[in-house]
Amino acid sequence: MMKIRLNTSTVLQGSLQDIPVPTRVRIPLQEKHKSVVKKKQIVGCGQVIAEISSKSAYNLGFVHSSINGMVEDILPDAIIVGPIPAPKEGEEAPVPARTEPCAELDTLAGEELCRKLLELGVTTSGMHATRTVIVNGLNPEPGMIASEHLLESASETLKAGIQLLERALKPGSIKLVIATGRQFTVHGCTTITASDVYPATIDPLVIYAATGAERPDNVDILSVVDLYHIGRVAETKLPFTQSVVSVKDKVFCVPVGTAVEDLLTAAAVSIGPDKIVTLGGPMRGASIFDMAIGIDKSCSAITMVDVGQFPPVQPNPCINCGECVLACPARIHPGMLSRYAEFEMFDEARSHHVEACLECGMCTFVCPANRPVLQYLLLAKAALIAQDEEVAACRLQDL
Amino acid sequence: MASQEITSKNLFSVSAAPVWHCGRTVRSTMLHSLLALLPAAIMAVYRYGYDAIAVIAWAGLAAVVTEFLMEKWMERESTADDFTALFDGVVFAFLLPSTAPIWLVVIGSSLTIVLGRMVFGGFGGSPICAPAVGWAIMTVSWPEFMDLNAMLLNWDLVEPLSDLKYFGVEAITDISYTSLLFGQNLGALGASQVLLIAVGGIYLLATRQLRWFIPISFLAGVYLTGLIYNIIDPTLYASPLFHLLSGGTMLAAFFLMPYPSSSPTWKLPMLLFGFLGGALLIIIRTYGIYPDGTCFAVLLINLCTPLIDLIQPKPFGGR
Repeated sequence: MMKIRLNTSTVLQGSLQDIPVPTRVRIPLQEKHKSVVKKKQIVGCGQVIAEISSKSAYNLGFVHSSINGMVEDILPDAIIVGPIPAPKEGEEAPVPARTEPCAELDTLAGEELCRKLLELGVTTSGMHATRTVIVNGLNPEPGMIASEHLLESASETLKAGIQLLERALKPGSIKLVIATGRQFTVHGCTTITASDVYPATIDPLVIYAATGAERPDNVDILSVVDLYHIGRVAETKLPFTQSVVSVKDKVFCVPVGTAVEDLLTAAAVSIGPDKIVTLGGPMRGASIFDMAIGIDKSCSAITMVDVGQFPPVQPNPCINCGECVLACPARIHPGMLSRYAEFEMFDEARSHHVEACLECGMCTFVCPANRPVLQYLLLAKAALIAQDEEVAACRLQDL
Repeated sequence: MASQEITSKNLFSVSAAPVWHCGRTVRSTMLHSLLALLPAAIMAVYRYGYDAIAVIAWAGLAAVVTEFLMEKWMERESTADDFTALFDGVVFAFLLPSTAPIWLVVIGSSLTIVLGRMVFGGFGGSPICAPAVGWAIMTVSWPEFMDLNAMLLNWDLVEPLSDLKYFGVEAITDISYTSLLFGQNLGALGASQVLLIAVGGIYLLATRQLRWFIPISFLAGVYLTGLIYNIIDPTLYASPLFHLLSGGTMLAAFFLMPYPSSSPTWKLPMLLFGFLGGALLIIIRTYGIYPDGTCFAVLLINLCTPLIDLIQPKPFGGR
């Protein structure tokens, strides 16, 4: 059997590739987003189609249409934009609105700039003024190569992004964490090297590598892909409506909401029932069953795995071997916690620190019994959150 | 999308994250472990002949059949195909004298599975090492049939640990370390093939099927405790190297102590567990009534596992 390597750093080939503009996109929405378009409305590329009702400067970014087209359907989790129908005889073809560059972007600063960025589609919910900002320049998971690709090929855009961030957040310092042995720099950042072996590449551990503190509360982290989005907004003064997605060893720039199917066709990758396709990397990505699902802005890779390449996950009993304990970067006991979750002993799970879990998936990766360990831990976490909410609701009623 | 017809073309497999797996399964681990036991088994057959084959085969068969019947009775799916029962049976056989009667082998092997595993819910649930349980029950119930000297009268050799027990250090002065290493003295069927057991253990360490923490700390515990006694009075207590190379020490270090469910899981507890187990082995050999206390040491330290495993690090970000 092929030996799995968890190193994420790769030598890069090729440049950022575009794909033919798809005729139909399915732009994903979060629960908080509120649609501001109607069915059959003609929308232009860059036009706002969903926004956030709160006026705060730190929240999810607005959603913009990524192609010129007509709104075909508005679903709770997505807006479908399709081709503009041919005009009837005697009527003029509708012209989608053009989005004008936002000229005031250069003059704003601080919170106002953050609000403007949010309106331009940048998610600012993880940002705070005057904190240390860490840019995670490591490829987050094996097989996800977009981060290092952008560091190599788009340093000007990243520089523009850093300059915008400096004005918006006035951070204490900006640190760029890259893989040991690589030579990337971004103007304005202190460069720090760290291990590129998963799970050392996930955000909490990158923060630890950069600051020496576990879960410090004065640090913000963003990925190179996020920084690239900000950089593109800074350069064009327009909302950036594309995702940077790696498929195998190529990196594509695709309109947000492009169907996975369309991207894979453009990448000349064939898929079928013998493949498991996930949005994201092989360790944390969610596998999908419908190839028409649109690619989210934050999705930076599509991973394919052959069915049968790895032993299937099954609800087998835990054998207490302790492999998960040795693999766990959070220093908890995933095997024990998974059993608490399995038998719905959620309070026990809390007292054994299930909330410290970093959700890296190493426990499931190493489990010789092929248990869905991470899944059980996520179940326990979700159940505890639901339980807490219920308790809070009861208290409110008592008052 | 609901109107979309479901055909085999648009039907995809899904899986919970992560979709990768290191490829190691219980089955592959057990196959590696059985492979690691193979050289010692071949050596045992070379030394003791057909008797050794019969004992290993009956022990393995009885273990697998017992597990199958128990799982049938418990209305569970059979897990015979993961080879854990076979592994337990073979390790149990390694602890027996090669001339053990078949009825003893079958009863012992069945009890290994029933009392060592199934009463706790199957492989992975037992808080004690199953083959050691089987050995302990047999030794207490039929001491005459488990006595290595009595059972191996055909061979014109001695069992080093009994010599040490009953005749003192002087009786073992002419037993060379090389003869111990190559199993040229009387001993349990597989456990006495010290070098080949160690080779198997090193194979497991090299292929990362086994972590070094428990075997190395166990051997260190045996050596250091033996050394202390030896320094106190060399005419009364054997040298630590003799203890390392005699009886079931090696088998315990690589196969009994790291038994998955009965050993701790954290790093420091594993080191402590191994070290204390090694110390217990010497103490039982020195003061106990049985010549070889390996399995008793393993069982006793197994009982301490939950306690030792309470030594846990703070979780990530914990204060």
